[in-house]
Amino acid sequence: MRDAGVISNYALFGATAQIRYTEPLATLDADVLVTLPDSGHLDILRPLYEFCEARGYPIEGEAIRVGAWPVQFIPVFNTLTGEALEQAETADFDGVPFRVVGAAHLAVIALSVGRGKDYARILALLDSGAVTREEIAALASRHGLAEAWIRFERRFVDE
Amino acid sequence: MNDLPEMLNRQAAWQRSRRLLPWPVKIRMAEMARETIMQLRNDAARSKPRKDDAR
Repeated sequence: MRDAGVISNYALFGATAQIRYTEPLATLDADVLVTLPDSGHLDILRPLYEFCEARGYPIEGEAIRVGAWPVQFIPVFNTLTGEALEQAETADFDGVPFRVVGAAHLAVIALSVGRGKDYARILALLDSGAVTREEIAALASRHGLAEAWIRFERRFVDE
Repeated sequence: MNDLPEMLNRQAAWQRSRRLLPWPVKIRMAEMARETIMQLRNDAARSKPRKDDAR
């Protein structure tokens, strides 16, 4: 898709990215952060959907089915997700290089979203040793989430 | 019941050991879990009585 100019860049995030660091967990879909070239379309994902559908990947609601997985493509939506995509790591998936958002950005994106399962993600990443409290604090602070991190620490970590 | 803490510790240790598996293996495990969840959801939806059935 990058070669075809449909997307500029991508990185896997969400639960399937978290699984790199933690024990496996059940998730219903795969989330991919993308940056898109300016297509002039009001619906910025339309060229991507059309590209996939033309190659036999069916659209299912807001996702595109790739093998067993519904894949949701999510355009970067703030400086945090933009940086997460830019600084993503290249992981090896059975010999195929795959860009994946790193642990610190996964944790701070989860902090910014703030649902129960996002807080569980932060705790799982901390527990796995993939990221430290200090790394999260520094990144959270750079993205205006220092207060949210302090509240999280008080509630879930400091006991 | 006295075995419970020991059982929970063993379970936690087993879960932690899953972390060390290669990422593709863990993705496939998540895929299997996903299929099971979908199956359970479908079964639950099928066994739910429809409004029409109550009439």
